[in-house]
Amino acid sequence: MNLHLILLLIANLIFYAFLDLRALPVLIGLSLLTYLGGRIIFSLKRKSPAKNTKPICLAFIAVQIAVLCLFKYSSALSLPVGMSFYMLMAISFLADVQRDEFGELPSVLHVLVYITFFPTVISGPIMKAKELIPQFSSRKKLTRERCEEAAWMIVIGAFMKLAMADRIAVSVNSVYSAPLVYSGPSLFMASIGYTLQLLFDFAGYSFMAFGAAELIGYDITKNFNLPYIAKNPSEFWRRWHISLSSWLKDYVYIPLGGSRKGKMRTYLNIFIVMAVSGLWHGSTFNFFVWGMLHGLGQVVHRLFTKGMKKDASGPAVGIFSSILNFLFVSFLWIPFRLPIKDAWTVFLRIITFSAGASYYYVYTFIFAAALLVVQLIGVKYSDGNDPIRPLPLSKLYGRVIFCIMIIATAMFAYFGSGAFIYAKF
Amino acid sequence: MQTIFSHIRTLSGWIAALFIAAFICNLSCFAFYYPCHELPRTQGSTTGFLLPGSRGVYGLEGYCAATIDQYGYVNRNLERSDEYYVVAGASHTEGLFIPERLRYSDLLNDMLYDDGKLHVINIGRSGNYFSVVLQHLDGILGEFPDAKGIIIETDSLAYDTKALYDSMAQAGYDPDETADSIVSSLSTRDKLVIKAKQSLPLLRLLRKQYYTYEDSKKSAGDGTDILDPDFWQSEYDGGFEDALCALMEFIRSKTDKQVIILYHPAVKLEADGTMTAMSNGAEEYYRRVCSDYNIDFVDMTGRFMQAYEEEHIIPYGFSNTTMGDGHVNRKAHEMMAEELAKVIR
Repeated sequence: MNLHLILLLIANLIFYAFLDLRALPVLIGLSLLTYLGGRIIFSLKRKSPAKNTKPICLAFIAVQIAVLCLFKYSSALSLPVGMSFYMLMAISFLADVQRDEFGELPSVLHVLVYITFFPTVISGPIMKAKELIPQFSSRKKLTRERCEEAAWMIVIGAFMKLAMADRIAVSVNSVYSAPLVYSGPSLFMASIGYTLQLLFDFAGYSFMAFGAAELIGYDITKNFNLPYIAKNPSEFWRRWHISLSSWLKDYVYIPLGGSRKGKMRTYLNIFIVMAVSGLWHGSTFNFFVWGMLHGLGQVVHRLFTKGMKKDASGPAVGIFSSILNFLFVSFLWIPFRLPIKDAWTVFLRIITFSAGASYYYVYTFIFAAALLVVQLIGVKYSDGNDPIRPLPLSKLYGRVIFCIMIIATAMFAYFGSGAFIYAKF
Repeated sequence: MQTIFSHIRTLSGWIAALFIAAFICNLSCFAFYYPCHELPRTQGSTTGFLLPGSRGVYGLEGYCAATIDQYGYVNRNLERSDEYYVVAGASHTEGLFIPERLRYSDLLNDMLYDDGKLHVINIGRSGNYFSVVLQHLDGILGEFPDAKGIIIETDSLAYDTKALYDSMAQAGYDPDETADSIVSSLSTRDKLVIKAKQSLPLLRLLRKQYYTYEDSKKSAGDGTDILDPDFWQSEYDGGFEDALCALMEFIRSKTDKQVIILYHPAVKLEADGTMTAMSNGAEEYYRRVCSDYNIDFVDMTGRFMQAYEEEHIIPYGFSNTTMGDGHVNRKAHEMMAEELAKVIR
């Protein structure tokens, strides 16, 4: 088992070195610092269980956050690839040790493999230490079923990224680089395009990460579950970037008191969590505003639905809520993408139906229709959950679909600037 | 033994699946990307033909189902009139991005004449830029001796002194090198290869994707600016105008027919909401020199700008690509046809 982990660590480091060799020492250094922190906390807890180790844990977390802030907010330093993601995993390890989630302290090798884990190191999913590290001691056997599911996930992810996200990106980039050129309705379509691009880009990556992890015997969180059918902002965050939402809930919202300390405190906690989420995504003001507006959306929704029975409304209200929430989320992606001033300009041009050049990108319509079909299947046959299932690759039709997806990816892939959006956060 | 059979069965299952998938994807290409076969030639009015009588579908940029006439050009199957103009140029003129009848050559034809005959013969061919067209002037005049006029389309005037002189070197004209004769001279093997290529548009699309991918890697580091003002100022201060005069004199020495240079500049959409023409400042030189040699210079800059400022019309780009980039769209073709019609009338 250890040999396997050593090989995995070497693979992780080689993979990361290809992406960002310069930042490799930072990754290794922070991983070792995390292990040291965990070891100190664990030893103190074992020696004197009554001792309060929380300040030590917080001190180590503060150092981690300080390093992250230094890279993220300093103009002189560029952010190492995936730092925002692996830093949250490092914090998760410290918090889980503090919470006695491990019977025995994981070895330095376990911690290094956990933080540098190649399927998740660039853009997540942000795996919690208590979920991933135990798997290193009981790796799953690579069965035919796992192999089939992994291959299918990688193929779907590649198609979503290369043929869908990157193709939509071309149009979104061109519109957002000169928004004053385009009419209000065209800008609205571009904002819908960006809404789709983000999903296909990030979900595409997450599918590939899921497949890659599965191939080497580990289970990681599925990061998306039809987020755009969510009926309200809170549900959206249970379906979008699930690993981040879950991390924020476990390590920020609940420690702050969650919903246990009264309504006002609950609302405040929601705002704090969403502000943290915003600032985690980026150092500029627009990300903070984006996070706060999402917080506001959640609070307003809670206020309006206070006292209402869950699922008391019929399907028509449900569809209306989903559309409303989709528009809310889509509009908020504008300040996620553009500086506040530009985002405000785009927003105003949309709601005032400003005159300008007409541009309705065909692929936005095609991919929106495809997503709608998947969502409807998910609602009808999968209880509102992601309906994508492993293909039966032992059957001819499964193999044909699999091959079609590979060929279609090559046919429709857009070649240009294709960096993963979330890799820069 | 059983294991070997099992492996063979699995492998053959995968091969069968791959063939079925490729067949389905190939079938879809007939509605999306099914380019006509190209036949190169060494001399004549263009650098090559498209397979005479063939049909093609082009859906990567805009959408067009094209028919190729019996001569290997992108014209409607109309009877050629004795009174005709020839339109030469590169991909913008070939117009495999918008439906036929909406290309500026077709629109011009319908604006000038209503007898159902072909009066504007489009010999546009991808890659036949301004200088290449001029190198084939002997070919154009040889192949179309009775043309009333020649229209040469270009999206750029970024040809330096040397390029202007070079464009006078003629490719020559061989009256026997027609599309028909090239097709008849093809061996059975060549014909089979063409048939195979035409049956497998998927392979051509994948090949195109590969070259696009290679180009995207190259262009990432390519910072050259063909409109560098310093370079062009030194050209204009040097022998540029003399070269342009020599070129126009050369054209006039070859023919006294009406010659129209149709120039439509590339445009750039700016962050402040304006649109600018990508110009190297050569328009004035062309306008002046063309006038001296009785050559019509149709500059679309003003018309494009006016259309943008008054109606927010962007002359380049399609709904399946980006606006302001790529090839001229339907609206631009309309404007170009209108401007040409004014000059010809």
